[in-house]
Amino acid sequence: MADFIDQGILIGVVATGIRLATPYLLAALGEMLSQRSGVFNLGLEGIMLMGAFTGFYVTFISQSPMLGLAAAILVGGLMGLLMAFVSVTLQAEQGISGIGLSMLGWGLSGLFFRLYVDGIQTIAGLKPWKIPFLSEIPLLGLMFFNHNVIVYFAFLMVPIFWFVLFRTTWGLSVRAVGMTPQAVDTLGVSVTRIRYQCLIIGGMMSGLAGATLTVANTHMFADNITAGRGFIAIALVYFGRWSPWGILAGSLLFSMADSFQLWVQVLGINFPYELAVMLPYIVTIIALMVSYGRVWPPAALGKPYERGVRG
Amino acid sequence: MKNIRKVLPLILALILSLILVGCGGDTKPAAPKAEAPKAAATQKLKIALVLPSTIDDMAWAQSMYEAVKKIQSQSKDGIELAISERMGKPVDAGAAIRQYATQGFDIIIAHGAQYQSVVSEIAKEFPKVTFAYGTGFQTGPNIFAYDPQAQEGAYVMGILAAKMSKSKIVGIVGPVEAGDAIKYNKGFQMGVAAAGGDVKTRIAYTGSFNEIVKAGEIAKTHMDAGADFLTGSSQQAVGAIKAVAGKPGIYWLSTDMDQSKVAPDAVLASQVYNWEKVLTKIIDLRKANTLGGQHLTLSFADGMLELKYNPKLEAKIPADVKAVIEKTKKDIAAGTLKIDLKK
Repeated sequence: MADFIDQGILIGVVATGIRLATPYLLAALGEMLSQRSGVFNLGLEGIMLMGAFTGFYVTFISQSPMLGLAAAILVGGLMGLLMAFVSVTLQAEQGISGIGLSMLGWGLSGLFFRLYVDGIQTIAGLKPWKIPFLSEIPLLGLMFFNHNVIVYFAFLMVPIFWFVLFRTTWGLSVRAVGMTPQAVDTLGVSVTRIRYQCLIIGGMMSGLAGATLTVANTHMFADNITAGRGFIAIALVYFGRWSPWGILAGSLLFSMADSFQLWVQVLGINFPYELAVMLPYIVTIIALMVSYGRVWPPAALGKPYERGVRG
Repeated sequence: MKNIRKVLPLILALILSLILVGCGGDTKPAAPKAEAPKAAATQKLKIALVLPSTIDDMAWAQSMYEAVKKIQSQSKDGIELAISERMGKPVDAGAAIRQYATQGFDIIIAHGAQYQSVVSEIAKEFPKVTFAYGTGFQTGPNIFAYDPQAQEGAYVMGILAAKMSKSKIVGIVGPVEAGDAIKYNKGFQMGVAAAGGDVKTRIAYTGSFNEIVKAGEIAKTHMDAGADFLTGSSQQAVGAIKAVAGKPGIYWLSTDMDQSKVAPDAVLASQVYNWEKVLTKIIDLRKANTLGGQHLTLSFADGMLELKYNPKLEAKIPADVKAVIEKTKKDIAAGTLKIDLKK
């Protein structure tokens, strides 16, 4: 009997951790791409909120979660486009315009929610989809193969982002634009176009990350439902050193620690809850401290590019 | 091209400011409205409400908003009402409170335990303005502290949960161990213990008042660990209620307001605060020149605290359990049963 309970807890911790990691993973992968091209987008929180609202609202009126997710990706892309316009074309200070975008997303999502939805409402949302055969493996099946489709999608994106970034010509251009935009420009590759593409894709990923919270996790929307997740995703990009695998490790470490502390609390293990709530942050900081090696952030990160002017 | 770069930020700024103006809507943020004729202003009572979340959060803030709205609609002389939402950070709230005070508002309600220090600081500078905040008990010459006795309803609902739980495990989704939540959670735990029957209470905190997603995850974890009765306070609770909804045989017990609309098949009963009575008392006291200094409780005894069953699910509560609950309520109201949180 005791054995069974322990197994249940193990499954619970891992399965919850994976579910919690999904929005971080999606948003951080998108942000990594933007930063690799030399633009840091602090507006993630705002994009996620707009994605969360759009995903919720479209599902609410159409009864189709898939349509909701598609709309969230679209709106996320548009928010990314806005960020690209402000930071690449207008060459605005990236930190400031990102924070502006965050506030815009928070304000607009709250306003639309009040205008178009009458208070707290429920949507059908996404249900877990058990992968045939794999979900029947004892222990592992329930941990890894009993989630909603966005979870699988997010983890699939890790090798795909790695492949695109390090094994394709476009990926090479992205990395080069983030390091030495002048050199890329002389070779006839448009710095502006690459940065626009990266920010739009990054926005789409964040929009989907936001929609995960409403369409898959809670089946509702409320003001400021992201509660700072966008900023944690940005921190995870630094933690993961601009690599998809590093971001995967960071998201999982943070979320598993979070899920573990939830179980510690629920099972009534005698431990101050204030410390338990801090655990994911502490674990992440310790992991950053003990991991060594030089960090190579994209050299042109944060610098607008203008042809003929030394950056 | 160069010129366009210079003009575009201006256009963007214009669009953004238009959107922001639109955001104001009918809720009137802190925008000054001092243009109103002075003569009319002296007759109309001016009330400002500062809220940590939004007027449609289906919890703490909405319950107060609805009460103020009702008082406004019933008032003969009329009430001018201004509301600031999303003031989760006491510093932001402080700025709004100060602005309302300088604009000549009569009563400023800062609806949260976290506003205690900003209110006591600002109230000294505006001795003619009445301030009210809660949950709290520290008053000042012009500060009312309102104090829902959350433990009373919680105790009763603890008995309800313990008597009805089949798994003998009940779960609390806590925000932060502070203010209202301490009273509520302790009262609930004491109620469960008092009911006997060896029922376990498990408690987990999100560390925030508005972590809706995390509250939902805690509720799921509680259920995975076997709980079949759940409860919890603050505005994030709606996330937990949504997680409970659609799980047959598992129920939620609400506090702050009647939350059965959020999940009609999961919310079994609610502890409801009757803010109208408290506000009416504050307004009457001010009219009688008492600007503050009173610690106002909301309890079963004064009728400002109520237990509401969800009519759709009321039949599920066995008659003997209901009898125990009604008796406990009466004992608490009569003072023969005291819920001592210090134990």
